[in-house]
Amino acid sequence: MAHILVVDDDDLSRLYLVAILRNAGHTVQEAESGQKCLEQIDLNAVDLTITDIFMPVMDGFELLATLLKARPGSKVIAMSGGGLTMRKKLALHVAKKFGAIDLISKPFQSSGVLDTVTQALCPAKSFIACQNWLCRQDALFFSGTG
Amino acid sequence: MNTFAKNDLHPDRDMELSQDADNEPFLVLDKLAEMKQELGPSFLNVIQHFQSGILLRPEKINQAIQANDPERVERESHSLKSVCRQIGLVQMGHLAANLESLAHAGELRGAGLLVGQLIQAGQLAHSQLTEYCTSP
Repeated sequence: MAHILVVDDDDLSRLYLVAILRNAGHTVQEAESGQKCLEQIDLNAVDLTITDIFMPVMDGFELLATLLKARPGSKVIAMSGGGLTMRKKLALHVAKKFGAIDLISKPFQSSGVLDTVTQALCPAKSFIACQNWLCRQDALFFSGTG
Repeated sequence: MNTFAKNDLHPDRDMELSQDADNEPFLVLDKLAEMKQELGPSFLNVIQHFQSGILLRPEKINQAIQANDPERVERESHSLKSVCRQIGLVQMGHLAANLESLAHAGELRGAGLLVGQLIQAGQLAHSQLTEYCTSP
């Protein structure tokens, strides 16, 4: 089982995700902002970070950029339900470009979250999944249907 | 789809509500059943937090409207929308999305009416969730 840090400014979304991960046997830490996430990771290394994208102060994109610059190779999953300034599909696509290894779409289901986490923690499966996902998203994005 | 009966809310027709809003369920019970199965013993604890949230968040939005703070209204409405969609409160999620759109446009006229409906919907949702959790 892995040590996972969940970053979301929304306490209820965070609570639900943490409950799902703990139920699956993972050790879970929580952070309510990108800044708190970075502070916690400085104190305790984690196997995986799951971060919301749209957060005040430091959003998920900035967190991804800062974290991956400071700790290259860190595994980060981005999640979003989309916002008015950026649609969900585009937000998740951009997060991937910023270095997220996988994505969780809100509202989420337990089974989907756990599958994504398992793949992220298993490099071989994760790499193939990422490549496939990127190819699909690029095709959708540039064909104008994404 | 397994749902609670339609509520007795009366959305203002001048508001930009979804055309299908009246035909959509208030609470999708299948979503709750799924959560119950997924979370096991943690389910009740999680639902209790959600219940507090759906009562408190419309009040927070109301406070932000009174303070004429569209940014805060947008942020709080966005959070409430997300929570509603997560637990299957479809109509309440639409109301929150409409408020988010109004606030994003910097337009808070009419927001008072919407937040009134949200507060009413939150109370109904709270009681329906209690009913669901206490039923055998």
